[in-house]
Amino acid sequence: MALPPSLRTSITPPELELVASEQLVEIVPLVSMERTAFISGAYGPLRPPTKCKVPLWMASNLKLKKKCHIVPPVWLNTDFLQERLTEETTSPSFSEMPFRFAELAKTLLDVAPDDLQNPERIRSLLKDIREARQAKSREGLAKLDHNELLLNNLCAMEINEIRPFFVRGMDVLTKLTREPGQDAMDQT
Amino acid sequence: MAAPWDDDFDAPIAGPSFIDRVRNAPDDDDGGDFAMHDGDDFETARGRVGGGLSVMGQDVAEETPFQQLIRHWMNERHAPDILPGQEMLLGRILDHVRKQSNDVELLRADPDSSEEEHFRIMLVQTEVERVKFIVRSYIRTRLHKIEKYARYISSAPDVHERLSKAELEHARRYSRLVEYHFKQSVLQSLPEQQQSLDEEVAFMPPMVAKPDKKRPVVARALVDCPPMRLPDGTSTEMKKGQISMTPYYVVEHLLLRGEVELV
Repeated sequence: MALPPSLRTSITPPELELVASEQLVEIVPLVSMERTAFISGAYGPLRPPTKCKVPLWMASNLKLKKKCHIVPPVWLNTDFLQERLTEETTSPSFSEMPFRFAELAKTLLDVAPDDLQNPERIRSLLKDIREARQAKSREGLAKLDHNELLLNNLCAMEINEIRPFFVRGMDVLTKLTREPGQDAMDQT
Repeated sequence: MAAPWDDDFDAPIAGPSFIDRVRNAPDDDDGGDFAMHDGDDFETARGRVGGGLSVMGQDVAEETPFQQLIRHWMNERHAPDILPGQEMLLGRILDHVRKQSNDVELLRADPDSSEEEHFRIMLVQTEVERVKFIVRSYIRTRLHKIEKYARYISSAPDVHERLSKAELEHARRYSRLVEYHFKQSVLQSLPEQQQSLDEEVAFMPPMVAKPDKKRPVVARALVDCPPMRLPDGTSTEMKKGQISMTPYYVVEHLLLRGEVELV
């Protein structure tokens, strides 16, 4: 009954998506529903066409049954993403993105492409941003030591992607510099 | 019929119900693993949770119990060591899950329920399944660590307080079983000086597996953190929102105080 071996080393992308699905998104309901108490909070009432905030899992559930339109978050449009891509390719640091933007964008592109403006363009911009950021995180490997590595502005999915290799790298560096590490551990 | 979950969002969840269930159904899959300590009633638990949160600032104080569970689940998944068990939180959430499931049963049995009701039932059930998945994954992650470090846990009293009664009992029984199996299958046929299971040979890894506190983890600061000491002796501070990869022992005390989360 213990955790299956495939899940022991790290969290998996579907699990990250599960966590991200707790985030609230705005919907325009097409059905009405009284205010309802859920474990994560009370949502509703749904009164078309008044906008309402519900968790992403509920929004995609309703969307798949054609019972709502999802209002995309402010960062999920071509203008914003284009701006970020320019920033990403001109500046050496990571631009600021929502921590779980990859999971959110994927879910929305999967279930509600018709609620987005120009989903194909968004998809390709997201891909370009991802590649630009990936290149930077690979370069970041050069900064790895046994102490600390700042990963500011990296998002959950990116951290998860570089984790196995970076953890191993840092582990090896820690072993190579055993003595100072030992001191610090005795004192804490 | 009015839906039972219309207006009772803030209604108190009966305190002793979960404890009763655990006592009455020791074999229950969902309840058996996290029996609570006697005398821990719901109010003290709530007080304790509240007290702990005040240190953590605004954002964390507004976390719902389910968000707290997700945070603890993520921490447990990423930390090399076993973290303090969140029995009270689990108790509250399981009570809530049971209440939602009961309400669903009640409404389903009612032949007059409207289509809208069916729709709400479906949504409530969907959420219950999501919550159950995370509860299960949390327990299984702890179970994995308990079994992996069973022999270390049963010999280290300072770890005991991080485990629930049932978890500790499991760790002890598991390590006894493993030792018995090793003895029966191999060790009893070896010369006596080679039979021990806890030798410490110089330059060799110890025979009792311990959590590797030097394993790097990725921590995100939930508040501005007090200075932490890095392995090379320098100290650094994490500002709220900063993400840093560093050996686990560096951020351990911040994690236990809820000032960082592992991501």
